[in-house]
Formats: sequence, C-alpha cells, structure tokens
Amino acid sequence: MKRVIIISIFLFCFFVTPLIGEKITLWTAPNMYQEQFWKLILEEWKQVRPDIEVEWKTIPASGSSEEAILTAIVTDKAPDLCTNIFSGFAAQLIEADQLVALNTLEGFDELVQIRKADEGIKGWDFSGKYYVFPIYSNPMLFWWREDILAEAGFDSPPRTYSDVYKLAERFCKPKETYAIEYLKGRNWWDRWFDFITFYYAAGGGQSYIDVERNRAVFNNDAGIAVVEFGQRLFDEGWTSTDMMDNPLYTGHLAGQLMGPWSIPEAKNMFPEIFPEKIVMSYPPVPDDYPEDQPVKTFADTKGMVMFKNSKNKEAAWEFMKWVYSDPEHDRLWFEMTGLPPVRSDLSSNELFQAIIEENPMLELYAQAVPNSVPPALISKTTEVQDIMTTHLTEPIYLVDKSAEDIIKNCISKINKELF
Amino acid sequence: MKNKQSSLKRMNAIKGWTLISPYIVHQAIFFGYALGWLGYLMFVKWNYLTPPKWVGFDNFVRVFTDEVFWLVLLNTVNFMLYFIPIALIASIFLGMAFSKLKVFKTFVVLSFLVANISSGVGYSIVFQKLLSESGPINRFLFQQFDFTIPWFSRPQLAILAIALMVSWKFIGYYGLIFLAGLNAIPQSLYEAAKLDGATRWKQFTKITLPLLNPSLVMVLVLQITLSFGIFTEPYMITGGGPMKRTYMFMMYIYENAFRKFTSTGPGFASVISILAAGISFGCIFLVRKMVEKEVNMV
Repeated sequence: MKRVIIISIFLFCFFVTPLIGEKITLWTAPNMYQEQFWKLILEEWKQVRPDIEVEWKTIPASGSSEEAILTAIVTDKAPDLCTNIFSGFAAQLIEADQLVALNTLEGFDELVQIRKADEGIKGWDFSGKYYVFPIYSNPMLFWWREDILAEAGFDSPPRTYSDVYKLAERFCKPKETYAIEYLKGRNWWDRWFDFITFYYAAGGGQSYIDVERNRAVFNNDAGIAVVEFGQRLFDEGWTSTDMMDNPLYTGHLAGQLMGPWSIPEAKNMFPEIFPEKIVMSYPPVPDDYPEDQPVKTFADTKGMVMFKNSKNKEAAWEFMKWVYSDPEHDRLWFEMTGLPPVRSDLSSNELFQAIIEENPMLELYAQAVPNSVPPALISKTTEVQDIMTTHLTEPIYLVDKSAEDIIKNCISKINKELF
Repeated sequence: MKNKQSSLKRMNAIKGWTLISPYIVHQAIFFGYALGWLGYLMFVKWNYLTPPKWVGFDNFVRVFTDEVFWLVLLNTVNFMLYFIPIALIASIFLGMAFSKLKVFKTFVVLSFLVANISSGVGYSIVFQKLLSESGPINRFLFQQFDFTIPWFSRPQLAILAIALMVSWKFIGYYGLIFLAGLNAIPQSLYEAAKLDGATRWKQFTKITLPLLNPSLVMVLVLQITLSFGIFTEPYMITGGGPMKRTYMFMMYIYENAFRKFTSTGPGFASVISILAAGISFGCIFLVRKMVEKEVNMV
C-alpha cells in the first residue's frame, strides 16, 4: 500500500502537476516605484490566472541592466519576459537571434489597438517586425528655476538660444552660477540626454542616424546650430562640465534637462523648490526655428521583450497581453512611477486626467509624448554614442575647431564604425 | 646502499610532488585553463550568444588598425611618465624618513599603509569631490587667487590627477619596500664614508642609491604592472575622458569584451589583453636590463 501511495505521488508530481500550472519568469527594472507597481499587478494576476505562476525578480545588480541580462542569456538563466529594454540593446539581441517577434503571436495587432499604442510602436519597427512592446516613453524637458528667471526679467522660460544667452548675461557669475547644463556626463547614454535631445529640438525631430543607409546624418544646420550653441556657452563660462551636486536646487543653475523620473526625487528631497519654483519647457531651439512648429524632444523609451529560449511562450504572451490590455494597469503605472505609458490617449483619457490634475508637472510630460522621438534603432548604440562623446561633445569645449569641422570629423568616425 | 638511497630519493620526490600538487592543480584550473581559453578566443569572433566563429588573425588586424589601441598605449606611457617618478621619488624619501624614526616607527609605517588597503572606489570618490571645480581646493584657489584648476576636464591634468591619486595610495607600500632595502645596508659603509669626508649627498648617491638597487627594481616592476592594470580610478573619476586621454588598457578590454559585445567582443578583447601583457613584460624586461645590477653588501 505504501508503495502504491509513493508511486502515485511520484506520478502526480511528474505528470499531472505540469498540466495543472505553468510557470514563467519576469524581470523588471530595479526601481522602487516600478517594483511597487509590479507587486500589485502580480497579486491581481494570481487571482485572475492561478494556472500561470509568474516568478518575479528585479534585474540582478550589475554594471548595467544590459550586462545582467547578457550574463543571464549566456548562462541559460534568461527570464521569459523582461522589461527595461532600450532600442539599441533590443537591436543587439535581435541580431543575436534572442528575441521573439511579438507581431507573429496571435492577438498582437488587437493588443496594440487596445493599448492605443499604434503611434508609439512605430518607433520600434525592426525591418517590419516588432520584438519589443513599448511600456513607457519619457520625454526630456527643461526644468527652469522660476525665481531665477523672474529675477533675470523672464516671465516665461527661454525659447531660443538667444533667450538663453540673454538669461546667461543677466544671471551667470564666473565659476559660480551657470545658465544651463549643456553636457550631462561622459557615459555613452548621456548623449541621449544632451546632444541628441538638443538635436531633435533643433531639427524638428529628424534622426541623427539614417538607419536604412547606416550613416550618421547630423551634418546639417541643426547639428551645427547645436554645436555652436554649446561652444558659445562654454566659451563664455555660462555652462560647465563640473558643477556642484544638484545645482538647480541650490540655485547655481537656471535650467537643466530632466526626465519625469526626477519628479519623485525632487518632491522628496527638495520640497522647498519643487514644484513651486520650477517651470518646465521644451529644450531651447535655434533662433530661426518657426514659432508655430512644435518642438520635438528625445524620448527615453523602454519596453518588454520575450526571450526565444522561453519554454512557456504562450503563457508569457498571455501575461503580457493581460497586463497591457487593461488601461487601469497603465493608470496604476502612471500613478505609481510617474513615467508616461506609451498611449496616444494620455491627454484625453479621463483615467489619466485625474493623475495629471493631481500632479500638474506630469501634464507637460504627458503632452510631450507625441512630440518625443525615440533613439535611432541601431545595434551599435554604445559604440556610436561613445564616439559622439570623444569626437563631438568633448571637442566642443576642448578643441579650437569650427562646429562644421567637429561634426565632419565625428560623422566620419561614426560612419567608419557603422560600415 | 644504492637501493636505499634511490628509494629515499623517490620518497622525497613523492613528498615534493604531493606538497606542490594543490598549487599545480590550482594553477592549471585558474591560470592554465583561462590562458588556453584566452588563446582560443583570440582567433574567433564571438558575441557570447551564438557559437564562436573562427576568424584567424582578423582580431589582430582589427586591434592594430584600431586607433584607440594606440591611444591607450600612449595614455599608459603618459601615465607612467607622471606616476613612476612621482611615486618613486616620494617613496624613496618616505622610506628614508621611516628609517630615521626613533619612536612609533611601526605605527607610522602602518598609517601610510592604510591608503594602500583603502577601497579604490571610496578614495576615488573622495578625490573626485576634493578636486572638482566646486570642491574645497578649487573654491579656495578661486576665492584667494581668482583661478581654478580644471583637474578632470583637461586631458593632461586629468592624467596627472590620477597619477597623483595612485601615488598617494602606493607610496606607503613602496616606502616600506625601500625601508627594508635601507635596513639591509650596513651602517659601517656610511661610517667609513664619513671618515673619508663624504658629504650626505655623496653618501646618498654612492652608497644608498646603488645598494637600494634590488628594492628600486622591485618597485619599478610593480609600478609598470600597475600602470598596465589600472582600472578603478579612471573608470570611476573620468570614465576614460576627456578625449579618451585617461582611457587605459583594462577599461579598453572591459568595454570591448562586455559592452560592445556584438561589434568587437571577447575575441578582440583577448588580443588586447595578450598584447597588453606582452608590452608590460617587454617594459619590465627593458627596465631590468637597464637598471638591475648585482649588489654585494659586503
């Protein structure tokens, strides 16, 4: 009898249990607010679909999310689903044949429609296929100190480069106070948040890389204007690469490019400054930029992918569809993280209106989503932006060359890399 | 008798092999295997995700035609030009100062060694804050003399700043090596020189320096290996900039192996690592040829 019971348990464990439940793994960004969101979502999922268990983890600590994911793939420990994937990394994973083309799965088009992501997903087209489902799009906007602007005689944020120069003349003191932060740092990703953002604004959102021809294409009026803008700011001492910590909040800086992820931190750490003394605007544009034309900005956009080695693709797809087909989930995401979901109805849907009304600072970010442009879809993002750092942004303040020459040299280096 | 001797020899040999076998096994796994794998990687193109593809000497060609490789080599030489004399001179004088101490000698020597065991990340952040444009040194300079030193935003200053930081970390350790060398010099030599009327400078150049030769060579070898292996300080403080002038071999290897894995990857990085090792061995060989002398204390 004992034997029969043991054998029955054994058979049940090995043959029946897998039929009862499926298990998928999900990795999300190691971010406090996002973690809180996923915790709630997974609790709900447990009630809705107890047959599919989701094992959730944040992306393991490493130099970057990309390194952690890469290590997981190499050691055959990659999850079924993973968030926090940016376009360049997605392109690398696609090249290495690691991702599932989501548009080949049943119900993809319906999901895009339900999510109101028709526009947002266009930026994720890899040769007619979609491997990444966009989660959020963070437009970069300028935060200005309203009190500093008022003291300098501005009743609205500077719109053009000349306005910035005027502000600088009135506000800047050598080695003490600066007009704007022109360069963010020397990490490759910093180029998204300085040169590329300024370039998108100056050029009406035109790309810096021609993805079809695999060539850099910012050797135009917009590129030159952005470089000359930086040269003037550095020459006059109106900006610096080495400012003190949090210069905007300490009153040593008038304006700085920021993403919506800075809102919770600003609220918690500088309540005396944020939101009362902060006013937002699109990045400044060249003087001849048409006033009636909308200003474009860079969008730091991230999405979810499904790995090819997933053993439960169907279950993973079910979970992904469930998360993104309910606008209530996007409302919760927006409310908890402050990161605008990739939806075209963000400004019109009542669900999101309540959040925007409660956090007026989010309104501009939500409105900026349609005017924000994602990075170029190339697999050599790291290499290209590393070249930009050495041959484009650093020469702006270190090398005595014309903007045209700096750009020409940088373009030739990038094209050599992309060739 | 002969049989007894040979069996004793065999026993000794067995004992010897038994004693060194853990070391051999350890070296075979952690050095031999890794070196063999590195040797294989040099000839393949691999992105970790798809199977390695044999490319012959392509990785070598790519490294030699990569202008960054030559820039990194130049940066390493540039760094050595600052670091070697600064740390060497400072540590010789420190070693001499240690030897003159009558009380608290151990305490003082250990205090200088604290820098050597401190976390590279920690002290890099401290120096970064200290030398930044808004840091206390530059604030003082600006308030008193109306100028600041852009330590990290000018290429030569950035490499000098890193050399100074690394010197700060290592002079205690090198000073200890020189102290050991100084202690080995017989006092009778100085007494004889004094009787012959030799000045302090003469004693230093004719007795101290020549007899410190073994310590000098050792410190030089350590400095060269450190220059080729430096990572934390430039990575943390300057990120290899400005204009890639603080971009060193370890950063170059790391970034190509792990960050640019689809374009260059571990094959390319393996070639750089072998070349960096080869060049550093070459430098050590050259230094030993030029500086090393047989020293007889008696």
